Parts: sequence; structure tokens; C-alpha cells
Amino acid sequence: MIRRSRGLGFAESTLRVFGFSVGSLLWSKRMLFLALLSAVPVVIALVARVAEARGTPLHLAGSETLVGTGLFGTMVWAAYVRFIVPVFGVFLGTGLIADEVEDRTIVYLFTRPIPRGSVLIGKYLAYLVCTTSVVLPSLMLTYFAIVPVSAVAASFPQLMLDFGIVVIGLATYGALFGLVGVVVRRSIVAGLVFVFGWEPIVLLLPGYLKRASVAFYVQSLVPHAVPRSDATFLPQLVVREIMAPASAVLWLCVVLAVCLALAVRTVGRRDYVLDQ
Amino acid sequence: MPIYEQTYRRYGGLRLPPCRGWWVIARTGLASALLDRRFVGLLLLAWAPFLVRAVQIYASANFQQVGFLAPTVETFRTFIAQQSTFMFFVTVYAGAGLIADDRHANALQLYLSKPVTRSEYVVGKSVILVVLLLAVTWLPAMALLLWQVTLTGDAFLLTNSHLGPAIMVFSVIEALVAALPMLALSSLSSSRRFVSVLYAGVVLFSGGLATALGAETGRGWWSWLSPEHALAAVGDAIFRIQTPSSAPIALAAVALAAIVLVSLVVLRRTVCAVDVVSS
Amino acid sequence: MCCRCGVVVSDATPVISADHVSKWYGQVSALNDVSARVPPGITGLLGPSGAGKSTFMKLMTGQLRPSTGAVRVLGEPANDNPGIYNRIGFCPEQDAFYETMTGFEWVSTLVGLHGLTPTAAREATERAIEAVGLTDVAGRKIGAYSRGMRQRVKLAQAIAHNPELLILDEPLAGMDPIGRRTTMEMVREWARAGHSVVLSSHMLHEVEAMTGNILLMNQGRILADGDVRQIRSLIDTHPHRVFIKARDPGALARRLLLDRDVISLRFDGDAVTIETARPDELYDWVTERAAEGDCGEIEELSSPDDNLQAVFNYLVKA
Repeated sequence: MIRRSRGLGFAESTLRVFGFSVGSLLWSKRMLFLALLSAVPVVIALVARVAEARGTPLHLAGSETLVGTGLFGTMVWAAYVRFIVPVFGVFLGTGLIADEVEDRTIVYLFTRPIPRGSVLIGKYLAYLVCTTSVVLPSLMLTYFAIVPVSAVAASFPQLMLDFGIVVIGLATYGALFGLVGVVVRRSIVAGLVFVFGWEPIVLLLPGYLKRASVAFYVQSLVPHAVPRSDATFLPQLVVREIMAPASAVLWLCVVLAVCLALAVRTVGRRDYVLDQ
Repeated sequence: MPIYEQTYRRYGGLRLPPCRGWWVIARTGLASALLDRRFVGLLLLAWAPFLVRAVQIYASANFQQVGFLAPTVETFRTFIAQQSTFMFFVTVYAGAGLIADDRHANALQLYLSKPVTRSEYVVGKSVILVVLLLAVTWLPAMALLLWQVTLTGDAFLLTNSHLGPAIMVFSVIEALVAALPMLALSSLSSSRRFVSVLYAGVVLFSGGLATALGAETGRGWWSWLSPEHALAAVGDAIFRIQTPSSAPIALAAVALAAIVLVSLVVLRRTVCAVDVVSS
Repeated sequence: MCCRCGVVVSDATPVISADHVSKWYGQVSALNDVSARVPPGITGLLGPSGAGKSTFMKLMTGQLRPSTGAVRVLGEPANDNPGIYNRIGFCPEQDAFYETMTGFEWVSTLVGLHGLTPTAAREATERAIEAVGLTDVAGRKIGAYSRGMRQRVKLAQAIAHNPELLILDEPLAGMDPIGRRTTMEMVREWARAGHSVVLSSHMLHEVEAMTGNILLMNQGRILADGDVRQIRSLIDTHPHRVFIKARDPGALARRLLLDRDVISLRFDGDAVTIETARPDELYDWVTERAAEGDCGEIEELSSPDDNLQAVFNYLVKA
């Protein structure tokens, strides 16, 4: 029988990697840049509020005026669910291991008594904490910038739901692009092609192909955000076929679990040959 | 003499005049970019719209039933606008590591210890990206124009004599506005991944911001926030196309000039042999 | 001998054993059917660039999987065995760090991944930082360190958890002479305390100052393995050169040509350099002549071939 020394357990290793990763990621230039990007919807919201105050609110194609919770719902869908969440997933998710490999510091982590997979999961959890700590405040600021005080009480529970949707989106995209980052070499380009090429196209096509996207399931959680007044409005077309929220959450969890499992397996088996 | 000296001998051959270093850098960079099969695949994919348009032009020239597909100036303008997606990916793929990889490998010290000035270094790197971008914008657009002329004679060209120069000028402006900011960002970091993130973030979010603010206010004034929107306005002006939602051309031109200027300033400050790190 | 983690290891057990190990990257073979047993103590892993030393070290540390064969470290498999890293410390060659961290933070973060409590990690870090002589600059960011300091902080992270086996890839690179001497002394001290060290280096005279036990590689194969002098004595097809400085080199030369099996003889001023296939007999003969004084005064006797460089040059070029 081969005797093996004991390393740390998977859970403890993950927590330790998470501990030092979250500190270094949260205060990095990368996160500062992403925080600045997260401020873009807030700026849009403030301008919309000013425009509304000046009597020139936003109109969609058709007659509906977008103000208050309607505008906020559209922004949750257009700015966060379809833009910020997947883009942050690409930017940070693809770099979970790839950044360490590029910096050639992965050797220090892979020669510790911790499973390789715990490095990936620890960094993934750090990614999730850091992105939610940047995106959720942005979402909240956008909410308070757009929604009038009188409507806050009624719409606040929906805001909490929107928080949950954003977190699920970040978690799923992060897992997906974590896998892409481990498997594909130029993962950022691949991720951007997926988010801005594949997903918009499959979402427009009828049939089951749209299920090969994360956006389909995440969008199924935000039907309240879509204006219903005009059938020709593009978002209406796009989200005409949606899934029941419970099923969508289940599928998102499946995608998350499968991607993370595959990523852990790949990292555990792969030889990382670093540039000297 | 019968026995030849085997010791070191100074190079006694032809020396090119100074200020040719940029060409060596550019030539080497282009050669190594074209050795990457994935990148060559991306370049070939960027020519797919050319094939579609070429078929369109052929059909319109040869079949009266589809004469309505005949190209106009707007066709070429739209074609170049559609190529901007490929431009984005080519810029991210080929441009992110142009200076970042040299910083990562501490190669700037080597470059700048040769008789190569910083300006030559920057010019050489710029030429790499500009040439690759022109290969997916100017080259297919001019190929389409030639195809049109070949099939239908020079009447189209005589009617739209500004089209050729417009394609040239706009393609160069587009390439410079894409290449210089990417180089500037690449000079700020030693991680090509982070540079990709920076560039993609700036382009995507500025475009989203300009679109949203333009929709909210109903004014094209916000185009200056986004290089993409500013280029669209400038492109419309160069092609002499009136688009109702076009932003003011002066504002767009100033915005583009500012982007180029800021990029050059950043490059001037950051491209140096050594970094001073605070302790 | 019983290690901390409960695995019983006898003194004769090799710390590293490789059995028919090959590693290739596509068409390129980095290691070619390498079998070796690295004994306890200090072992120098030597070879020219591209010999496969770094690949072998990565296989030892489980970073790479062998294409064929198996590597065992301290009696345990090197791959898929994270627990082994409690017993080994690795100092890689590449100059890569978390540059925004201070030296202290970096070492304590990494040693914390060994399961130490924050207090224990801090204490272990302090000991390691002191051992490598970086106490004064431990609070500075690594990005501001000199090359030698960076090398030493790398060493600190390798020793902080008190491993049984240290694997050091070019540990002396970039260090100043004092740093190199300190590191060499630390390595010797480490071995005296019962730990084992495998180190690779191009500085042959410094490896020779630390150990006589070498593993010599070239083109992905092991050329020689064991004590330098034993290896040298086995290379009997290659004659030894012996340098003898004497008052009367002519008289000495006459006696040598008469009495001894001399392959060649050359005069170098007031000395003679001889090539012989039997150096040990020659040394005895010179000692007798010096005692009897019948060749004049003999002032110096040495062999330029009795060192690692000569063995290296001969085996690599052969």
C-alpha cells in the first residue's frame, strides 16, 4: 500500500486560497477599472433622471415613456444582465488560473499541500465576492437614481430579486469563463466572441439553440424588466421565448456546477509549462 | 596569406542609414503575427463579408431581377462599418501584447540599448497593428471597389470619384484610432490579458454609454464619449452621407484627435527602458 | 528515521527515485529514459542548458507528469499527491512574484497554505526571512527588491515550512558573492541538520564546494551519477593531467620518463605537466621522490583534472 502524506482538505485549502486571493483582487488595478465601468449605468441613470426632471424623458419606439421602475427594469436587463455581468465574467473569470500562469506565479500555488482544484475554486469564490461587491452597489445606486422615493417601498423587494439575479448571472458566467480560461489559450477573445457574437445570434433564432447560451436562462429570470407595450421592440422579440424562473435557476446551477467540475478536472490533470 | 584569422572581425558590409529600426520591428512583428494560425484564421474570417458583398455585386451586375442590390456609396460605407467588429477582435488579439509582452520579458531595455529611438520603437509597433487593421478594412473595401469596376465599368467610379480616397482616408483614420490607444494601454501593463480587458472595457462601455445617453437625450452630442460613435460621424462626413442621428462632425473630429493625442502622450511617457518602482 | 507525517523512511532510502522516466512535449523529448536514485544529503544536478534539469526538477516536484515511468519523492508518488508538499520545499528558477506584496506578506501567505495558524505562519516566516538575511527589507514590496533579494525571498518561501527535502533550481543565480556564500553555508547547514537538498546550478565550483555527489545530465539523459572523484576515477580512458612544480624540472622529467607510465609531458616554466592514466600511482611516486630528494625540491603538486569542471567537460563533450 502506498503511504501518502496528508495535505489540507479541499474545503480548508479553498478557504485559504480565497482568503489571500480576495485581498489581492479587491484592491487591484483590475477591480478599480471594473468599478469605474460599473459606474457607467449610474451615470446613465443620473442623466435619465435629469432628462425626466427637465420634461424630456426617454421614449421607446412606440409611445411608452420609460421612467421610474420601468426604466430601472430595462436597465437591469440591458446594462447589467446583458452587458456588465457577462463582460465581468469574461474579464475576470477567464483569468482565474490564466493570470497566475501568465505571471508565472502558479508554481508557488501548485507546490503547496493543497489540491489544485482548490486553487481554482478559491479564486472563483474571490472573483464572485469581488464582482458582487462592485456590481451590487452600482445596481443600488442606479436604482436610487432612477426610482422616485415614492415608489421605493413597493419596488424594493424586486430590487432584492434583481440582486439575486445579478449574483446568479455573475456566478454562472464566472464558472463558464473559468472553464474557458483553463481550456482555451486566448480566452478573453473567445469569451467576447461568445458574449457579443454567439449569444445575441442564438437568442434571435427560434428553436432550442438559444438554450446553448447562459443569457437565455438569466433573461428568463427578469421578464419584469421588459417593456410590453410594443411588440416590435427588440427586447420583446428576444425574450418572447422564456423559461419558468425555477427551471432557469436549476439550469443555471447545472451549468455552474458542470463548468466548475470540468475546470477543476482540467486544472488537476494539466501540465503547466511556464516560460523561463 | 595561407592561414586565416579566426578571431572576431568587425562587420564591414552595408549599413542602412539610421531611423530604419522601425521597419525591422514592424517586419518582425508582422511575420510573427502571421505565424499564428489562429490569427490567420481570424483574418480570413474577416474577409467573409467581402465574399458576401462580392456575390451581391456580381448578382446585381449580371441579373436584372436583383438589380436593386446594386451597390451604392452607402454599401461601401456600411461594409467598412461592419468590418469594425473584426477590427476590434484583431486589435485585441494582435495589439494587446505588442508592448506588454516586451515589458513582461524586460525586452524594452534591449530594444532601447540598440541604435533605436523610442519614437522608432513606437512607430514600428504602430505599423504592425495598422497594417493588420488595414488588411481587414481598406484592402477588402478596395477589392470590392475594384470588383465593382471590373464588372460594371468605370461609370460607377466616375460618378462616385470620392469613394476611393474616402475608403483610404477613413480606413487609415479608423486604424490609427484603434491602434494608438491599444498601444498606449499596452505600454501601461506587462500583462497582455489585462491590456485586453482594459481595451475591451473602454471600447464596449464607452459605446454603451454614448448609445444610452444619446437615446435618453435624443442628441448625437454624446458621440465624443465613444471612439466608435465619433468614427461613425466622421466616416459619414468623409463618405458624404447624411445620417439624421449623426453627431456633430467637429465634435467627433476633436474627440478622435484627442484620443490620438492622449495616446501619443502616454506612449511618450511610458515607453522607457526602466521602470522605477516605489518601495 | 521517522518523518513528521508518519511515513517511515530508512537512511538508505533514496530521497528521489526515477524509474525509466521520459517526458516529451509533442515531438521534442526533454527527458529520455532516465533512471536515477538520489541519496539523502546534498546532490548537485548539473548539465548544460537544455539538458533537462528543469524538466527533471518539475517532475520531481509533481508539476509535470512523466510521459512514461514514475517518480517517487521520499517514498511517495510525486504526482496527484498534494500532501508531499509538506515534506518538500521548491525554489523555482523563474523570477516571478506577487510584486505588490512585501517579502514578509508573500512568504507568510504561502506558508499559510501549509495549514499553519496565522501565528505559526508568522513565526515560521520570521525564521525563514532571518535565515536568508532579509530581515531589514522584509517590509518592502518585492517589486523594489534587487535581483539577489528576490532570489533570497524565493529561498525563504521554500524553507519556511521546514521541509525534509529542498529542491532548488539555480538558487545562486543573481546573487552577489556574499549572498552566494551565505546560501551555500545555509545549504550545508541544512544538510548537517539531517535534511536533503537537490540543487541545480551552472556554477560548478560552487556546487563542488557544497557536495561531491552529483547527477550529471545532457540531452535528456543521465551521463553520470555519484561522487565526483569516483566518477573521475572511472573515466580511465581519459588521462589525468598532473601539474608538478619543482626546482629542477629537467631532472624530474628525466626520472618520470624513465620510471613512470607517462602519456605526455610538457614543460611550463619551472613546472612540468604530465598526462598519465594512473594518477594515484604517480602521486605515491612523487611523494617518495620528494621524501628522498633525488629529483630536487618539489614545491607543488596538483591536478587540474581532479574536479567537477573537468568531469563535466569530458562527459558532456564526449
